[in-house]
Amino acid sequence: MAVQTEMRQGEKPGILLAELHFRPSELDISTFVRADLVFTGVDHSEMSYEVRAFLNNPAADEGTPRDLEEGYAGRFVVFGHGGCYGSVGHCDVPTERREPYDLRLPHPLTPQTKIITVTEALEYVIEEGEGELTSVTLVPISKDPLIENQGLTESLFKFDSVELRTYG
Amino acid sequence: MAVRKAIRGLSPQELVNFRDAISQTKALRDERGYNYFAGIHSLPPPEHCQHGTLLFLPWHRAYLYFWELALQDQVPDVGIPYWDWTAEISHREGLPRAFTEERDENGADNPLFSTTVEWDASLADQVRQQLPGTIDEQGRTLRDPDPPDELPRKATLDSILDAPTFEDFSIRLENVHGDVHVWVGGAMSQVATAGYEPIFVAHHSTIDRLWYLWQMRHPGMSPPASIMQLALPPFPVTVAQTLNIQTLGYEYAVQISQ
Repeated sequence: MAVQTEMRQGEKPGILLAELHFRPSELDISTFVRADLVFTGVDHSEMSYEVRAFLNNPAADEGTPRDLEEGYAGRFVVFGHGGCYGSVGHCDVPTERREPYDLRLPHPLTPQTKIITVTEALEYVIEEGEGELTSVTLVPISKDPLIENQGLTESLFKFDSVELRTYG
Repeated sequence: MAVRKAIRGLSPQELVNFRDAISQTKALRDERGYNYFAGIHSLPPPEHCQHGTLLFLPWHRAYLYFWELALQDQVPDVGIPYWDWTAEISHREGLPRAFTEERDENGADNPLFSTTVEWDASLADQVRQQLPGTIDEQGRTLRDPDPPDELPRKATLDSILDAPTFEDFSIRLENVHGDVHVWVGGAMSQVATAGYEPIFVAHHSTIDRLWYLWQMRHPGMSPPASIMQLALPPFPVTVAQTLNIQTLGYEYAVQISQ
């Protein structure tokens, strides 16, 4: 089962809020063994960064403790390329469809798919919390080479879509 | 047959041998040298590393295989040790001392402490400008590690090793791999510069070992047929040729608890 959503800005610059609704019936919860947040089209061309996901906690930010009671569901890390070092056009990802005879490997900056497995956190929300999922807060934090420069980022986390997939 | 052991489990002589191999390849200014292999990953262009695709594990296995052969050309039978960042001692001390001591026991420069990049001045300046904290004014790689207890935990890896398919395993392991890259900070934290950081090979030896352990747990589970005959440039091997480490001439030592 997959649930897709639109994003909007969270309470702080950079933080994103997804209104993802998931309310299992008793039949669903008996067969729900794994849940993933799946992000497509994730950009990795610039500085490295991480994205923390919190369920049903719209106020979550970079200082929110990473534990179940706060809705923390997990994180993914983007190992970024750190900018472009070629001539003009070197880092432009081709958008046109490849010909069948074109055996080159995909452009290194082709956007990626990232997954956060949120099974435990979703079970907690359903069984110990509100009984249903209403939102996912995404907190992107830059992973600058120097710790002192790391923090919430408004610019690094670019992606196409996020959806919740549950598996029976 | 090279045996890859845990870095903290190396005997004093084995550590000397590994450092000698690194030192000797750092002195070579051609395709046998450390800077040549470090540069294959990303800088200077062209970038060859594979991330975010199902070639991530096969490509990096080929990468370490050819890099290890270059080390063995200098010191026969040397294996690239792995850094077990899930071990208790890693969660207490962080990076292994073999990499953090600026000098060895004889007072010589420790080649595992940092690497001096051999780029032209304009590229080095661009990197210093775009990625401050990766290399210093002399071109030496830098680090800025997070607290040791932030390293990935064994329970996380145990869960990933249960992944039922190669695709699931690869995506989840790559995420943890990136986590360790950014944990080290400095040069290691960005694709552009990571290959030059000496801990890189020990980190990827761990990633490769985990793939090997997953293969042992899931016999017969291979990457999808659609990628098996793909080449892994610039290396003259296909994905299929990376699947069996015995045929590649190395193995992993059984780990002793630390």
